[in-house]
Amino acid sequence: MVLAVVAWLLPYQLNIYWMSVADTALLFALLAVGMGLVMGVAGQVNLAQVAFFGAGAYVTAILTTHDGYGFWTAAALAVGATVAMGVVVGTPALRIQSHYLGIVTLGLAVAFTDWITNAPITNGDSGISGIPTPPLFGINLTSNYLYYYLELAVLAAGLAFGLFIVRTPLGRRMRAMRDDPLAAGAVGVEIRRLRMIAFVLASIYGGAAGVLYAGLIHYIAPETFSVADMFLLLAMVIIGGRQSLAGCVIGAVALTVVQQELVNLSAYAQLGYGLVVVAVVVFAPTGLVGIPSRALALYRRRRGRGPVAALEPFRPFPAGPEAAGGVMLDVSHLTMRFRGLVALNDVSLAVRSGEILGVVGPNGSGKTTLFNVVSGLYRPSGGRITLDGRVISGARAHRISRLGVARTFQNLRLFTTLTATDNVLVSLDRTRTWWSWRYLLWPAGVWRHDRALKRRAAALLAQFGLAQFSAALPGSLPYGIQRRLEIARAVASSPRLLLLDEPAAGLNGDERSQLAAIVRSIRDSGVTVVLIEHNMGLVMSLCERIIVLDSGAVIAEGAPADVARHPAVLEAYLGTSPVPAPSEPEARQKTEAP
Amino acid sequence: MQSFFQTLVSGLSFGAVYALIALGFSLVYRTMGLVNFAHGAVLMIGAYVASTFYLSARLPFAVAVPAAMVVTAVIGLVIERILRPLENKDFDLMLIGTIGAGTVLEAVAIIIWSSSGRGVSSPVQTAPLAVGGVSIPGYNILVIVVTAVAMVVLTLFLQRTKHGAAMQAVAMDHEAATAAGIHVGRSNAIAFAIGAALAALAGALIGPMLYVSPTMGDSLGIDGFAAAILGGFGSVPGAIAGGLGIGIISAFAAQQFQGYSDMVTFVVFTVLVMIRPTGIFGEKTVNRA
Repeated sequence: MVLAVVAWLLPYQLNIYWMSVADTALLFALLAVGMGLVMGVAGQVNLAQVAFFGAGAYVTAILTTHDGYGFWTAAALAVGATVAMGVVVGTPALRIQSHYLGIVTLGLAVAFTDWITNAPITNGDSGISGIPTPPLFGINLTSNYLYYYLELAVLAAGLAFGLFIVRTPLGRRMRAMRDDPLAAGAVGVEIRRLRMIAFVLASIYGGAAGVLYAGLIHYIAPETFSVADMFLLLAMVIIGGRQSLAGCVIGAVALTVVQQELVNLSAYAQLGYGLVVVAVVVFAPTGLVGIPSRALALYRRRRGRGPVAALEPFRPFPAGPEAAGGVMLDVSHLTMRFRGLVALNDVSLAVRSGEILGVVGPNGSGKTTLFNVVSGLYRPSGGRITLDGRVISGARAHRISRLGVARTFQNLRLFTTLTATDNVLVSLDRTRTWWSWRYLLWPAGVWRHDRALKRRAAALLAQFGLAQFSAALPGSLPYGIQRRLEIARAVASSPRLLLLDEPAAGLNGDERSQLAAIVRSIRDSGVTVVLIEHNMGLVMSLCERIIVLDSGAVIAEGAPADVARHPAVLEAYLGTSPVPAPSEPEARQKTEAP
Repeated sequence: MQSFFQTLVSGLSFGAVYALIALGFSLVYRTMGLVNFAHGAVLMIGAYVASTFYLSARLPFAVAVPAAMVVTAVIGLVIERILRPLENKDFDLMLIGTIGAGTVLEAVAIIIWSSSGRGVSSPVQTAPLAVGGVSIPGYNILVIVVTAVAMVVLTLFLQRTKHGAAMQAVAMDHEAATAAGIHVGRSNAIAFAIGAALAALAGALIGPMLYVSPTMGDSLGIDGFAAAILGGFGSVPGAIAGGLGIGIISAFAAQQFQGYSDMVTFVVFTVLVMIRPTGIFGEKTVNRA
């Protein structure tokens, strides 16, 4: 609120020179918000943002000076053209990420700069001049002071929209995708569509900034849209704090001012600027905007802990309908090869509706690989998997998630920068990505949906006894509680089939019996459960049927007691021996490993 | 046909230099997990130091270049200490942190040598070799030969020496390497120094082919990085393949499209990387859930 007042009154304090600096700062702030959305929130490396800026400016310039369009018509077309460019630049992001995407987007930006320097229609290095001022209800926008208010309005709208996205399901999904694309896919996030949306958003902001720039300066030339300016923008976003849109604005304003101050000191200025950039990245990676919260956290640590959050008891789910008992998941001759390694070798098994099935086997036997193929992380090399008759082998993870399959991971894959509530919220939200058209046309619907989701998330966390941890980040939680949170997240997607990968790993005896109660309650509410576990006591007591894998093949299947006596199982776990097969009590003792 | 081979020769000479740059990138990434965007600036420093030794100190080229490599390697050790906190961090932070370091180097170069560049005369004064109507400047042959030698030496170092093996171990698992008694910090410093020396070699070699200026590292850095990615980031044969690839593509793009050569080169590059995301010799990483 205070900032808004300051921003409103600012032009009255500034002289002509600083006014134009302020105008430039606001433009970079708009660009930075776009960058923040695509890089900070969605985690996509986009080094073509300044090219979007250039595209918006150049198309506006060409359409107004060359083809005689009115300013606002040209502006609309310019933003449209920039969005088209955004789609082109975003396409590689569907296949590649990180530094690969970095060099591709940077290369496309260089390609764009090359084009505007050479194409006859852009006047090359001489640039395009004589761009008209945008007409606005008779207000004379040639004045930098008044143009400031136009920019401020656009920036405020852009920032508000950006914040709206970040705090609602779309932004949450983007942040989940940024933290862990694998886990995000497994809870139903449509990764590729989201990446494209992120680039389109960045291009809208870039194009809008370019349009405003053309209308402000009335002259554009290739040198404004160079790679050097791209790195300056990147520095603004990172120094300000890329994961916070407000941080991006602060970074943009701060660095524009710094740049202006140092413009006459040249080499020494550059030296200082470079050192500051390195210092911020090394000592304050969350950016300037993250410093207050880090200082606060440090202060809290020094003062000692406050009241410690505690785990509450698990409330059992209401019993669901009696299971039909037919085959839910049918795995038929499944083979999975990784180059020379055969991880799964002609595996066939069936999961019956309403049962708790255990999958056991020595390390490296292919249990997690089996889960990975069923949940869509891998495409099988051979064989077929059907869920209630529908073929799912080879389908993408998010599609399989939507068909009602949920899973947990052997090595815990919670979204690390999302709170416990947010983790559950991502999974709770079963809407498709195209549902997001409401962001543009019916934001109230988004808001209502989000509030309903939050109520359900709170209820689910309370059911799991995690209510006191709802605002905590996963990294701050004890291991056992993180495990429980991951199960809660999986259950949040209302699955029909739940795959638990070593849920008891690292749990003590007390936690293990609570886990058993939770799994039984989940099954009783109507969910079929498949469980990978090494803890034989848990497996024997919890599972009605067990399948044993060894070196990628099924070697035994049946009731726990029978499987424990099976010679092939004994050989796999204990090795062959010349001693004849042990009697029943001995066998049971041996397979109940600590 | 003749112009085809002429362009090819030019492409191979620049390609050899790009391969050296890509090699430096890949080595540092592979051993330290650092994508070093200051590499171009290090190259520029190497070019300036070499040309200073060659022009001002009148040292013979064959002495100036190794001397520049040593000086730059020492500078590399200093830079590595500063950039150490960035290793294994996420890409955005590495990117901007190393760019900041590059900016510092550029500013230092401007302060020492002024922002106007300098031309470096070719050390090879013999007439160009004429092969079937194609003129191959002697210097270009020198560049290709030196690059090839550097590749072989580096590969032997990585595969046959204890330090080289240590560097590879650190790359695979730096915690296990520490447990095995390898001094990770020192190993990384050596890796970075070698990377810097390679950059200096590339810069020294390219001096007579281009103009030496404080901003020469910018586009060369981008081209070298693209070459490393195209060939497969972290792979030595990949650096060679990628470097030659980018060199040849841009030579032909320049010949056919003149001013638009950058644009064509990078569009082709984008298409190639999308077809084969991990690069020509890159490893397919398997997601372990």
